[in-house]
Amino acid sequence: MESYKGKVAPDWCPGCGNFAQLRAISAALAELNIEPENAVITSGIGCSSNMPEFINAYGYHGLHGRLVPVAAGIKWANPDLTVIGYGGDGDGYFEGTQHLYHFAKRNVDITYMVSDNQVFGLTTGQASPTTPIGRITKNTPDGNIEPPFNPLQYVLTAGASFVARGFSGDIKTLTEITKEAIKHKGFSFIDVLSPCPTYNKFNGYDFYRKTFYRLEGNNKEDFFEAYKHASEWGDQPHSIPTGIFYEVNKTRYEDADEVLSKGSLKKTAPYKLTEDDMAEFY
Amino acid sequence: MDDVIVRIGGAAGDGVQSAGLILTKTFSRNGLYVSTYNYYQSLIRGGQGWYQIRTSEEVVKNQGSGLDVLIALNEDALNRHTDENINEGGASPLSGIAIFDGVMITNYNKNSKVKYCPVPLRDIALKYDKNPLLKNTVALGATIASLGIGFDTFANVIREVFDKKGKIAELNVNAAKEGYDYFMDNYSVYKKVKTIKRKMYASTGGDAVGFGGINAGMQMYFAYPMTPASSVMQFFSTHAKKYNIFVKVTEDEISAINAAIGANYAGVRTMTGSSGGGFALMTEGVGLAAMTEVPLVVYEAQRPGPSTGLPTKTEQGDLNQVIGAGQGDFPRIVLAPGNITDAFNLTKEAFNLAYKYQLPVFIMSDLYLAEHVETLLNIDLDYIMDNGLMARDNEENYKRYEFTDSGISKRAVPGQKGLMHNEDSDEHDEYGNVVSDQVTDPKIRMLSVEKRMRKIKEYIKNMPPTRTYKIEEADYLIVQWGSTRGAVEEVIDKLRGEDIKIGAVEIDHIFPLNPDIKNYLKNKKKIIVVENNYSGQLNRLLKSEFLINTDFIGKYDGEAFYPDELKNSIEGKINEKYEKIKIRGE
Repeated sequence: MESYKGKVAPDWCPGCGNFAQLRAISAALAELNIEPENAVITSGIGCSSNMPEFINAYGYHGLHGRLVPVAAGIKWANPDLTVIGYGGDGDGYFEGTQHLYHFAKRNVDITYMVSDNQVFGLTTGQASPTTPIGRITKNTPDGNIEPPFNPLQYVLTAGASFVARGFSGDIKTLTEITKEAIKHKGFSFIDVLSPCPTYNKFNGYDFYRKTFYRLEGNNKEDFFEAYKHASEWGDQPHSIPTGIFYEVNKTRYEDADEVLSKGSLKKTAPYKLTEDDMAEFY
Repeated sequence: MDDVIVRIGGAAGDGVQSAGLILTKTFSRNGLYVSTYNYYQSLIRGGQGWYQIRTSEEVVKNQGSGLDVLIALNEDALNRHTDENINEGGASPLSGIAIFDGVMITNYNKNSKVKYCPVPLRDIALKYDKNPLLKNTVALGATIASLGIGFDTFANVIREVFDKKGKIAELNVNAAKEGYDYFMDNYSVYKKVKTIKRKMYASTGGDAVGFGGINAGMQMYFAYPMTPASSVMQFFSTHAKKYNIFVKVTEDEISAINAAIGANYAGVRTMTGSSGGGFALMTEGVGLAAMTEVPLVVYEAQRPGPSTGLPTKTEQGDLNQVIGAGQGDFPRIVLAPGNITDAFNLTKEAFNLAYKYQLPVFIMSDLYLAEHVETLLNIDLDYIMDNGLMARDNEENYKRYEFTDSGISKRAVPGQKGLMHNEDSDEHDEYGNVVSDQVTDPKIRMLSVEKRMRKIKEYIKNMPPTRTYKIEEADYLIVQWGSTRGAVEEVIDKLRGEDIKIGAVEIDHIFPLNPDIKNYLKNKKKIIVVENNYSGQLNRLLKSEFLINTDFIGKYDGEAFYPDELKNSIEGKINEKYEKIKIRGE
């Protein structure tokens, strides 16, 4: 895991849920013996987005909401790489929703982890797509009136072949989920319950430790069971499930495509154009 | 120049374009130069559209003014194109022969300048097939006869076009032969076209960009459909397997540009493209490529705006958008091919520029350039992929964004050993690490901006000299960019023939402008900027760059310039006396 430690030290607030995700990603890569040069982390914009700097791998810190297409472009160019997209809930569930949906549907072989803290942190505490109704935030002084986005149900509906939820307070399980997600052939999605001690005083470690539970013995190939679990939420013990909700074998886009399925374009010399090729037109 | 102009008019769905394609191929296969023009509407059935082909044994640079042969597929087309006051954006009325179905169309406006040559198109067609669509082929047969061109090459083109349909090909050939014979029996050759035994290559601008990309080693194309950029996407989709190109229509243009950035970052040459509206969505991605110094080639095919504008028409109204796309100050290169041969060559150049200087490079096209067919003037398939400076594996103390004299630093792609680093949309230091988080470092910020900007200085030093046309002893200077080149050159040829000393500066490397342009601006009676837009976007750029006075000719009706129309405008500017400036009350 030390080999994955980046040269830059994380600058998140003390107690930020992102630290656990940094540990989980680094540990998963190390335990799977993936060489740092063969791993790429892409990120969007928000507190989460500096992650690539903190990991000794190739990093691409792009635009708000756009880390998924960047990740897919990298994977399509060079399938030998392990590509992990890492972003926040504002980043992935507001601006990036169309990419999330369609790349999940295409089942492109990348892993996408979302640090879901139900708030915009870096812009100092506005309501995010996953902010619960009634929550008072900087821009909802009378309480949020917009129903929260359900990322797991959304991604399931899109057609992702691996759907999971982790909790930053349960690093061991999060690491295991991350390993499985990386190993999974297809689009793997992990929503992580990630406390924001600065701007979300409601859903902290204490809240989740009380309410979360680990899915056990669930039929991971049963879409409707997964969908039902994804609807569970509450403030009572054993009301928020974590773990792998759904995991099925499904054709990857790369396998279905005639060109990509022939092999890595990175390793293939481009076509050499001849005059005869030009003649076939007019 | 001895040339022939043929126009096929009809409704959408009548097969105007396929007929035009067969005729274009027939001319090209007979060793002739061609240049076509496609006038159509944004609908699938009905309306009025037409396809024009100009051909000659000499180089043909545009669709041409005048009209020799009209194939009218319906009454409206016959009346429209024989009307002296035709109002189709500069197109000429017919002053030659009209080929049409004399049985179906009987009640039409007669024009004394037109020789009417009715042919029973439908009756002949029905002899061969229940489907009267064969009537187009019959009309084409009559047209070939009217130009005194042999039947055999034409028949081969029909077989080639209908190849996959087997028996239908022969039915078409036979129907065409009857049309051919009917014309020969009833009329005489209108204008004899001399054919030549030589091999000609012609292509649309869209195909030329596609070929250029393949020749440049491009392996992926990401886009979202939008006319007129779609022709490039279609080219790659159609030929994906043969050329091993991965083509992906993404959920939007934002995704297309970001995926293209990811792919180029990972070391595979990739292009994205759109028209103005779709490109507007890509804007943020342009800055991302510039900031992270990822090579990127963007194809931008203009159509009239703003907003949805005229989806099937042409304009050069996006220059401001392309040179201004993206927040902040950063370097970019914008190329604007002046014809189809140039579209091929500049696409090849665009990739090497993007990789050498590690910045976004644009190929600006427009509907006219993208969709019309023109003979390629030369084909140079030689190409050396220049991927620019690359770091060696395990290089010590690797700095992705090292502050070098040229501003260009070594790239490293994922998979390379020991070169792991961060590429960041935030301002960053030489290693790629963010400089704005804990303590913003103003000095590093300045050095980083200057480093990126030095690349453009380096590019300017290495730019090819500006292209000129008949510039010798010119009193008058035309400045043009992009697809207006063919019309401008023809006007210059004609005016030179009338002893007017006029020449042109043809800008195909449009941003940044080559400083050598100033050498051509000196001591001119008038400098006339010609653009297919209203406000003169290049004109403004030239004035601000070189502090000159100019005259401006703009066309913004959705059509390309026709040579006679442009000649009138230029003569008008030449003859125009500047009025003395009047002060109020004088």
